[in-house]
Formats: sequence, C-alpha cells, structure tokens
Amino acid sequence: MELTKEQVQLLARIYDIEIPDADLENIRRRLCSLLSAMERIEEELGADLDRTEPVPPVYPQENF
Amino acid sequence: MSPDELVYLSAAEQGKLIRTHELSPVGLVRAYLDRIERYDGILRSYITVCADQALEHARQAEKDIGAGRYRGPLHGIPYGVKDQICTKGIRTTLGSKIRAGYLPDHDATVIERLGAAGAILIGKHNLDEWGKGSTVDFMFGRPRNPWNLEHTPSTSSSGSGIASAAGLCSGAIGEDTGGSIRGPAGANGVVGLRPTFGRVSRFGGVMYGWNADTIGPLTRTVEDCALFLAAIAGHDNKDPLTSTRRVPNYTTHLNGDIKGLRFAIVREMTWNEGVHPDVRKGMEEAFEVLRSLGAIIEEISLPLARYAVPLQMLTVDADVASMFPRLLKTRWHDFERGLRARLMTALLTPAAVYSRAMRGRALVRGQILAAFERYDALLSPTNFNPAPRLDDPRETVDQGRDYLEREYFRRITNYPYNVANVPAIAIPAGFSRDGIPISLQIAVRPFAEETVFRIAHAYECATSWHRKHPDLDRVFLEFQRKSQPRSA
Repeated sequence: MELTKEQVQLLARIYDIEIPDADLENIRRRLCSLLSAMERIEEELGADLDRTEPVPPVYPQENF
Repeated sequence: MSPDELVYLSAAEQGKLIRTHELSPVGLVRAYLDRIERYDGILRSYITVCADQALEHARQAEKDIGAGRYRGPLHGIPYGVKDQICTKGIRTTLGSKIRAGYLPDHDATVIERLGAAGAILIGKHNLDEWGKGSTVDFMFGRPRNPWNLEHTPSTSSSGSGIASAAGLCSGAIGEDTGGSIRGPAGANGVVGLRPTFGRVSRFGGVMYGWNADTIGPLTRTVEDCALFLAAIAGHDNKDPLTSTRRVPNYTTHLNGDIKGLRFAIVREMTWNEGVHPDVRKGMEEAFEVLRSLGAIIEEISLPLARYAVPLQMLTVDADVASMFPRLLKTRWHDFERGLRARLMTALLTPAAVYSRAMRGRALVRGQILAAFERYDALLSPTNFNPAPRLDDPRETVDQGRDYLEREYFRRITNYPYNVANVPAIAIPAGFSRDGIPISLQIAVRPFAEETVFRIAHAYECATSWHRKHPDLDRVFLEFQRKSQPRSA
C-alpha cells in the first residue's frame, strides 16, 4: 500500500490536523509500512480472520 | 555494612534487617537519597524525588515497627514508580510538557496498596513520553544505562529499570504495554514482570492502551518481584477488568525445584537471523542451566507470532492515539517528535483495518495459548540485541530502512506475549562482550505468575548474575574521560 504525502495530509484533515512538512514523510512511511503488513496478513490469514471474533484479550472470569 | 552495600541488598534482605531493628528505614531512605544526589544528575532515572515525604514516612515506619505494628516484608522499603502512575499531590508528568504540572488528587490503586504494605515512595521515575516508547528527545533529561552511560536503558519504564539496577531504590513499579517493563529490565540487568492483564489494577495509571497496558515490578531479585506483586495484585472495584481470582502466595514455590517441568524455546523469538551473537550464546548457556536443573526443553514454532508487531501497532497504538486528536491539533510541537509521529500514524488507521487486526490478535493469542497446553513455559531472549548505543542510527526517528522491519527486530521478542496477554518475566542472564546485560524471558499461561517465579528463581539460584551491580564510579569516570574534548 503506497500513499503519497498529499494523500496522508488529506487523511489528517479528518481530525482537522495539518501535519508539518518536517513530520509528514516519517508518518507516510510508517503508515504505508503498517498497511502493507496488514495486506500481507490478509493474504495469508484472511479466511481465518473471517472465522475469528475480534475479542479483546482480557480475562476477568475465564479459567485456565 | 557500608551504605553502598546496603542499597544493593535485595528488598527481602533489607526487610528482614528492618524487622529485627538492625536496619532503620530512615537510614535506608537517606542512603538512597544520597546516591540519587550523587549519580542521578547523569543517569536521569528520576523526574521527581519525594525526599521530605519519604523521610517522614520512614520515621513513621520506624515508629510503627518499634511499637510492634509490623505490616510485612515491604514495611520500610523505599520504592520508585514510573511517572505514568498517579500519586496524590505529587506531580505526574508522563514525561511530557503537556502534563508537566499535573497534580493528581488521588493515588493509583497500586500506590495505595504499597502504602498499606508499609512501602515508602521515594520518587517518580523517568519514562518515554506518555509511556509509549518512541521518545528521542527527553523533556526531563536523557535516561542512561548504568552499565555504560553511552547506551540506552531501553523503553519505556527506563527510569524504573535504571533505579533498580543502580541502587537508587529497593524496587520499582513500571508499566508494560509492549515490553516497557521487560525491555528496561533486560537492558539494565534486573528482573521485570509483565503480569497477566487483569492481575493488577490499572486504576490511577494513565492507561490508554486499555486492553494491553499492565502494571508490574522491576526489582533486583525474583523474590523481590514476587513480594512486590503480592502487594499490588488482586481485584479492584475501580478497575472492572481485574480478576476476582485469589492472589496466591508467590513465594511458596521459590525452592529451586523445576525438575520435570516442560519448556519450549520459541524459534521465531529466539533463533532469528538478527539475534546478536552474544545474546545467542547467552541463551544457549541459559537453556543449559535450566536443563541441568531437570527441566525438559524442546523447540517450538509459533509462526503467527511474527504478526504480533504490526497487529499490536494497528490496534493498541490506535487505542492510545484515539485519546489525542485534540491535543495533536492544538499542541503538535509540545509532543516529542518520535511520539507524535507514532500517534498520528495510528490515528490514520482505518476502522476496518483495526477490526481485522483485532481478529488477527485473537488468532495469535490462540496459537500461544495452545502452546501452553503442552508446555509449562515458553523461553526466548528479552531483547535480540544488548542495549544499543544512544547514538546508534536505530535510535533515531528517520530511517531509510523500512520502518516496520526495524520495529520488528526491536519488538518481536516482546509483542507476542502482550498480544496474547500472558505473563512474562525478564531475568538477568549474563553480559555481552561490551559488558551490557543480556536477559532471558520466560512466559507462562495466564494467571500462572507463581510458576514463572518458580522457574525464574531456580535459574537465579543456579547463576550469579543478580549479584552483579554496575560500578557507577568507574562507569562515570569512563564517561567523563570520553566526553572530554581532546586537547589540541
């Protein structure tokens, strides 16, 4: 997943945030890297993800 | 015994001397305050030192113990706490300009419980900003590794790791979302426990990673870790996600016996290509020690573990970042540059990606929990590399190398256990050729902290790493020598 700096800046408008130029490339690189990683996870595990509930890993009451 | 020897006794040893009136809590607090004054201008483990309050509480402890009102093994024991955890009337800065003046009107539950146990708060520890390990520029001074001041003490409970290792407190309380107790424990050569989520109340901590943040001890010995956990663990009405399970006696099985226990070395978290040769050698030796104690050790592959790094960053980071849009909009430049990049990135995670990544976390957790049906513990190093130099390019924000590849090597040893929310302990396991600590990580099934203490204690008794302490005078001299400009 590759996004341009302009696209990342546009996304930030959702929060009414203007990302300074000095930070923009760093954020762009991080975001692309993470979204690409999720694309790879979907390729490998997509069917398993479909069958798995997104339950947070908290255990107040379970037994082990 | 000299003050410098006294400060390095374990909290358990100090506690016994306090109980028999051979050691005064006032004297012990004074010894730590002297060392903080002597060394912490450079180490920067503390943001706030509560000297007057600590001495007052020490005098009260001495009076109470003298009158027969003894509360237990932590009575009169000085401790520090990561400055992410609220302390009534004592500033709680989160290492941030934005919270520099925040004065809580309440104590966190862990602070209340340690107070009830008679422990004495000596100060608030330095940390990565907001407890999220991305800080490059530290507002309250750059924390340094007490074994070599040119090296990092790891993140984000940096000050808590330093203070325990450098004899600036008897023990510390830190917080671990993605290794923030284990990393600093490993880098500074002390014991650090990430407990099961739900074992210790999060109330009064600034815990925006709501399903991953845990509070736990950093100490010089396993027994001390068990004592501190015993004091803080248990259900709390103020944290509805705390377990109602009984808190066991964590010191009962500290008898060196691990014969017949079955452990598995996690291949993806141990024998990765990027493992430093000194860490590899240290782990091989550590596993041999455990085998010599009668443990049965095999290897296991947990292939989904490698996804824990992006899955955590796409979920927990987004949970944390969701608390900051307004502040990022109005005070962008008051956030440290590493942190603001991390938060903004997480804010831009699409909701559907977050949801899919939560499903991924459940899959990874399932694989790890299944491993505990066959094994009593999982083994790996705490970090792939000994704590790097502060000027190492890995420690700076902007990299040509792929961001996630770099984060993977930093976090793969820790993240699988936080994604799975299982307890994991880091214990000293030797030193690199450069004299930087190496650490072994042991993980167990949820709520089996007494098992992890049993294993870690057995290893500790069979080795002597926990008795080694940094020679701060020598380390400081070396640092000064290297810092001096060369004469023309």
